Formats: sequence, structure tokens, C-alpha cells
Amino acid sequence: MRDRTTQLLMLIVALLVLLAWQRGGLDLVLAGLLDGARLLWMVLPLLVAAFVIAGMIQVLVTKEMVTRWLGQEAGWRGIALACVGGALMPGGPYVYYPIAAVLLQSGASVGVLVAFVTAKNLWSLSRLPLEFALLGPTLTVARFTVTLIVPPLLGGLAEWLFGGRVETIRQGVRT
Amino acid sequence: MTTATVTLVLIALVLLAYAWRRGDGSHRRGLVQGWQTLKRTWLLLLVAFLIVGYVNVLSPQDLIQQWLGPESGWSGLLLAEFIGLLLPGGPYVVFPLIAVLYGAGAGLGPAVTLITSWAMLALISVTFELPFMGWRFTAVRWGLGLFFPVLAGALAQLIF
Repeated sequence: MRDRTTQLLMLIVALLVLLAWQRGGLDLVLAGLLDGARLLWMVLPLLVAAFVIAGMIQVLVTKEMVTRWLGQEAGWRGIALACVGGALMPGGPYVYYPIAAVLLQSGASVGVLVAFVTAKNLWSLSRLPLEFALLGPTLTVARFTVTLIVPPLLGGLAEWLFGGRVETIRQGVRT
Repeated sequence: MTTATVTLVLIALVLLAYAWRRGDGSHRRGLVQGWQTLKRTWLLLLVAFLIVGYVNVLSPQDLIQQWLGPESGWSGLLLAEFIGLLLPGGPYVVFPLIAVLYGAGAGLGPAVTLITSWAMLALISVTFELPFMGWRFTAVRWGLGLFFPVLAGALAQLIF
């Protein structure tokens, strides 16, 4: 997965190098290289701090804790717990979807799982330092503020509209 | 930029101190985890910053301002949502790209839509979701979620 992404990005770089070459020859190709390196150098301390924070959260918040909080709770309380669990959940989709799948089979509701995934996507605490570092305070604060309501709202909406079909959804994975 | 650095370094130090005080080697394991994440992603980071550098020197400012600028309205938000769906990779890749678009004149609203759309709806994450959750769950979550990035961007434009 990661390799596919790296390859795709390298292809984009190659295309951009070609475009730079066409527009301004070797000078512009070198200028782009230097500009990228300069930016990376500038954010390097931020990245190091962000990686330390991400590592600490991974160690301090265990998967067992999150799983316990998400349990078989129902209603708004379950959705609220799912939102908190999602926000604390470290790692990429290869980490949280396997967990969500386990919860689905052990009796969690559609709303709880939609809230969990959406909170992971929008409230992710382990991603926050990186977002803050690379996008700056204004954009990060604006983005968090306007999407704050979305995880519980989407969870509630999904439960209200499709909560009755949880068994069909569950069986869809087994087959 | 310096405020962000100081804030992050402080948070890192506080967490490190907290982990160290637990006295069970958590601090060391945390550092190892962080190092492993860095080892896994350094190539992606390098390539992402190369893209950022080239986008910068090729300076498509006019295009970005026209399509995603603060004056681009609903069409800018819709375009941002569409780009967000297609953005590949994790935050290490996506945030530098969005930062460069924002720096080159994209509006706050489209930038918020872009981040939200990538975070909630990115097709690359859906490829993980389908085998674990089944297409019905994905249809519910993704289908309902489709409306939110544009609304979030419009709201951000309105408030900030």
C-alpha cells in the first residue's frame, strides 16, 4: 500500500521535473529541488516533535483501553464513547478498520461504528500535532471548529436511518 | 512557524516526562515507536516535499487562485471536495500538499473542504474499509458523509 503511494508520488515528481525542465531548463529543475529541501529543513524540528508525540500516544493509549470504552454501549452514550475512542485511536486505516470489524461482529451498532470511524478521521489526536505543524494554527483551528459536530451527528444520523439494518450489514462481511 | 515549533516541542516534552514518570520504560518504547514511524515514512516525506518544492517554483498561483481562491465560491468547494477524495497517502503526504495550495492562494473554505474530504472520504482508505466492513457499511458512512466537506468549508468561510 505504502509502496504504491510512494510510486504514485514519484511519478508526480517525475512529471513535475519534466514540466520544470520544459519551462526553464536545468535551472528551474534545480530550483524546485532546492525549494523542497529548504522547506523540509524548515519543518524538520516540528516533524521530530510530532513523531515523538505520536510515539508517546501509541504507548500511553493502548488498544485494549479503546476497545473496552467502545464495548456494547448503546444510544448516544455509545456514540459519545465511540467518538472519544476514535479521537484517541492511533494509526492508519490498517489499524482502525480491523478493530471496527471486530466491534461490529461483537455487537456494536451502526451508529457507534460510523461515529468511531468519523471521529478517528476528523478528531484524530495523534494526527493533530502534524496538522498543526504543517498547516499552521489558523487552518487547523478553523478545520477542527467546523467539523467538531460531524462525528456524533453522522453517527446519530446513520443509527437513525440504518440502525435497524445492522444484522444485514453484519452478514455482508461474513460472506 | 516558531509558535508551532515551541508548542509541539513542549507537548512532546510533557508527554515524555509523563511516560518517564510511569517508570516502566514507556518513554523509551514511545521514542522507538516514533522512530519507527519516521523510518517507515521518510521516503514519502522526502517525495512529498519534492512535489511541494516543484509546485512552488512552477508557481501556478493564478490557476489556484482562480479555481480554489477565496472568491471561488461553491464551485471551488466542490472542486476541493473532489480533489480530497483522490488525494493519496497519509497525513505526511497530504498536509504538505494542502499547505502549499493554501500558501499559493487557495481560500480558507476550500482548504477546509479539502482536508475534511480527504480525512473522511479518501478513496484510498475506502479500499481498506471494504474488506473489513462490507460495502453496505461503507455505503452508509461514505454516502451520508458526502455532504459534510462542502458544508464545513462553507461554514469556515462564513465564520473565519
